[in-house]
Amino acid sequence: MSVNVYQPHVLVLPEDDANRQIANGFLFDASVKLRNIQVLVASGGWEKVRHSFINEHVEGLRKYPHRHLVLLIDFDGQGDARREHFLQHFPDDVVDRVFLLGTSSEPEPLRKSCGNSLEAIGKKLAAECYRDETVLWAHVLLAHNIPERQRLNAKVKSILF
Amino acid sequence: MLQRLYIHNFKSFQNFELKTEGMHSSLLVGKNGVGKSSIAKALQVLQGIGRGVNRVGQLVSPRHFFMAQTGSPMRFELEVLLQGKLYRYSLALELPEKFKELRVLEERLELDGQPVFVREQAQVSLRKTREITGDALFMMDWHLIALPLIQVQSEIDPVHIFKTWLGQIVVIAPMPQLMTGESAEESLWPISNASNAVDWLAGLLGQYPAAYTVIDTYLKEVMPDLRDFKYESLGKESKRLVVQFQGENQFLPLYFDELSDGEKCFFLCAIIAAANRAYGPIFCFWDEPDNYLSLAEVGHFILYLRRAFEVQGQIMMTTHNEEAIRKFSNENTWLLGRKSHLEPTQLRLLGDLPSGSDVVQSLMLGELEL
Repeated sequence: MSVNVYQPHVLVLPEDDANRQIANGFLFDASVKLRNIQVLVASGGWEKVRHSFINEHVEGLRKYPHRHLVLLIDFDGQGDARREHFLQHFPDDVVDRVFLLGTSSEPEPLRKSCGNSLEAIGKKLAAECYRDETVLWAHVLLAHNIPERQRLNAKVKSILF
Repeated sequence: MLQRLYIHNFKSFQNFELKTEGMHSSLLVGKNGVGKSSIAKALQVLQGIGRGVNRVGQLVSPRHFFMAQTGSPMRFELEVLLQGKLYRYSLALELPEKFKELRVLEERLELDGQPVFVREQAQVSLRKTREITGDALFMMDWHLIALPLIQVQSEIDPVHIFKTWLGQIVVIAPMPQLMTGESAEESLWPISNASNAVDWLAGLLGQYPAAYTVIDTYLKEVMPDLRDFKYESLGKESKRLVVQFQGENQFLPLYFDELSDGEKCFFLCAIIAAANRAYGPIFCFWDEPDNYLSLAEVGHFILYLRRAFEVQGQIMMTTHNEEAIRKFSNENTWLLGRKSHLEPTQLRLLGDLPSGSDVVQSLMLGELEL
């Protein structure tokens, strides 16, 4: 069956198809509990992720207190500005269950830099989460996620692994 | 592990090459009639040879030639990596004038580039081994395939290893309505409509009892009220599968036949995963595994299958379901296309096509062109 909305679970909302493939790869690590995580349909752009979050997912987070939501976006070199742009829309009552992650530019340069598929990259990121390692997570295109990853790990590691 | 499949002059295929090296799971997508299920037909020819079907007429017919082009041979080639060694098998069939049944033109099995046997029409040459010096030559009816007929020396004989792998290929397009709960025999050879799934389960558990744990674990994930399943004797020759559910103070035994179509597919999924772990590596081709499943199940079902083959074996699926498509990525999704029924099937990896923003939308709009 799909995720049980009455039990702790994680939804991933990817910005685009490339981020969806990274998220798919994350599920490929054998330690991930497939029934506790669901990757949603890609939104089609970071603005659409923000719009979807505000108009659809805030309500879902309030309705289901065991829900956690990962917004997977491209920071397009905008770093803190884009993060702030999102954070201002995170309501206080759900902010501790929403996480914003993504490459500092786009997934494609990361794929080229790693010489691997996006799926393989996602799988490696999951393995590092499981083992509390920071190798690929320290990649120049991903390192800005480290504080958010720590917050994510503290909240959802026991749900995912 | 299947590295390469080549099909020529069979159904919609002309010089069709599918390279699957390193791919534990892959997906075939494309419009109706492009040849996705025909790949299953080609695999069934090879599977049949592995299961001992030796009469050419029982495997292919003159109608299977591409565009009725009986003037040139029909070819099947496989490259498979097993236990670190590369097996290459090729079979060419022809239909001479006035023949009603195809005959063998060439057949060859190689191991790491060295011939194990070579055949030209009726003449078979078994190459020398440590025990046998000099080639063994013999004649064979040209309507018979040699591979199933060659006597194997032992379980480490390359012919045995390759034939076993071929026979264990799983090609399924299940019809749950035909999956009855009665088992009259044990088998490790599921047939394409999966009507003998319960025989397969019996064969699997009979030879590999530890497989029960894999099956039970998965089924309890998808059906949390499942207690267990067991076979009930129906006399000396047959038995019936009973699936037992329980609530807090209630207990409900159901015959396998009484399960829904989707629930029967859960069983099939669990059996495939357990079989691959127990006696794999298996190559599995599942035509539209999302059929009969609720929307809430499709994604997890596909991911479970993909993960079950991640360590060993290979699974190839076809689908028209967008949730299933989204569980694959550009490097393991093949797009098949065909300009018309008069043209051969072509294929490309999605990753080799100009990238679109959304593969499902591109497929729906017919924007992806080979």
